[in-house]
Amino acid sequence: MTPQLDLPVAEYLNRDIKAIITEFPAVADILGRYDIGCVSCGLGTCLFKDVVAIHDLSAEEEAALMAGIAGILYPGRDVVIPATARQDRPKTVGTRYSPPLQKLVDEHGLIKRWVAIIPEFIENLDIATEAGRQEIRQGIDFIRSFADKYHHAKEEAILFKYFDESLDIIKIMCADHENARARVREMLAALERQDRETIATHLKAYRDLLTEHIKKEDEVLYRWMDRNLSTSQVGKLFAAFSEKDGEFGGAPKNYEDFIIHLEKKYKIMEVSK
Amino acid sequence: MNESSGCPGSRTQDFRAAVTAVEENQGKVKSQLQQWPIQMHLISPVAPYYQGADVLLAADCVAFALGGFHPDYLKGKAIGIACPKLDEGQEVYIEKIKSWLDDAKINTLTVLIMQVPCCRGLLNLAQQAAQQAQRKVPIKAVVVGLQGDILSEEWL
Repeated sequence: MTPQLDLPVAEYLNRDIKAIITEFPAVADILGRYDIGCVSCGLGTCLFKDVVAIHDLSAEEEAALMAGIAGILYPGRDVVIPATARQDRPKTVGTRYSPPLQKLVDEHGLIKRWVAIIPEFIENLDIATEAGRQEIRQGIDFIRSFADKYHHAKEEAILFKYFDESLDIIKIMCADHENARARVREMLAALERQDRETIATHLKAYRDLLTEHIKKEDEVLYRWMDRNLSTSQVGKLFAAFSEKDGEFGGAPKNYEDFIIHLEKKYKIMEVSK
Repeated sequence: MNESSGCPGSRTQDFRAAVTAVEENQGKVKSQLQQWPIQMHLISPVAPYYQGADVLLAADCVAFALGGFHPDYLKGKAIGIACPKLDEGQEVYIEKIKSWLDDAKINTLTVLIMQVPCCRGLLNLAQQAAQQAQRKVPIKAVVVGLQGDILSEEWL
C-alpha cells in the first residue's frame, strides 16, 4: 500500500519540470537517458505531465522513465506515477513530416546554411566601406525578412493557432522569436553607429539561439504537432502556407541566392541537412 | 490452410480461426457514408460533396478488411473506390483525381490500399494525377493488412 505522501503525484505532474529538476537534480539524468533536454532548454517551464507526450515516448519507455523519477521523488516508497493519456494511433504511423511541416523544415534548411556562414561573416565584418555595410544590411535583412517575416510569422500567425498557445512549448518558441527580433533591432542600431563589436556579439548570440531553436522545432515541436493535427487540419495548414508563399512571390529565392553567394564567397559547403 | 504459391493478390488464405478468436464489439456501427455513387467510373469529381473536402480514394477490398473503416477513416470524408487490378479504363481515374485537385479544390487526399502488390497501382495512379494537377494538396498513403491491421500510414 502506498504510504501517505507529503506531495501527491498529481501535484508533481502539474509542476514545471525545471522546478522539479531544481529540487531533485537527479531527475535531469533520468530525462537525459531519453534525450529529453529540459536542463538545457532556454525556458523549460513545460509541466512534468506534458513532457512525456511532447517527446512521444513509447509506453514502455514512459513506464521506465516514470519509475526512475518516482524513485527519486519518493525514495524508498512504492509509488507508481500513472501513464499519461495518449491518442490511439497506429504504431506504424510514418516518420515523415506532414507536407506543411516539411515545408517549415525545408525553410529551416536555408536558415541553417546562414547560421553556418555566420562565423566567417563575423570574421569579415567590414564596417568601413559602403559595400561592406551593404552586405551586413543584407545579412540582417535575411534574419528579419526570411527567417522572421516569412518563416516565423508563418508559425505565429498560422501554425500555432491550431494549438493551445498558452502551452509552454509554444511560449518558448515565441520567446525565441522575440529574442531574435530584439537582436535585429540592436544590430540595425549598431550598424547606424558603425559599431562592429556589437553587431558581432548579436550575430554570435543569434547563431546560438537559432541553432538550438531549430533543433527543438525539428526534433520535438513539429513531431508533436504532427501527432496532434487531424488530416483535415494538415490540408488547411498546407493551403494557408501556400497562400502565404504566394504573397512573398520570388523573395525566398532571392534570399537563397544571397546565401549561395556567401557560401561561395567564404567557400562553405551546404549544411542544410 | 494457406496456399503459398501464385499471385499474393489472389492467393487463398483462411483467417477463420483468427476472426472467431476476437471478441466482437456490441452494438451497431453507424455508416459514415455521405454520398452516392462511390465507384470511380460513376462519380462526378465536381459533385458538391467533393468541394473542398478531405477525400478518401480506397481500393475496393479495404472496407471489407478494415474493421474500423467507417469510424476511423470514412468519417467526415468524401470517397471514391476502385480496383487497380481489375478495373478497365483507369486513365479516366487519373483525369477524375486531377479534377478533384484542380476543380473541386479538395483539401486532402488519403489513399487507402491493401498490402497486396497490385494495390500499389492505385497509389501510383493518385501520384501520377497529383503530378499532372496544377494545384497541390497533402496526400497520405495508408496500407491495410489482409486481416485489417494498419501496416503503414505515411504522408507523401
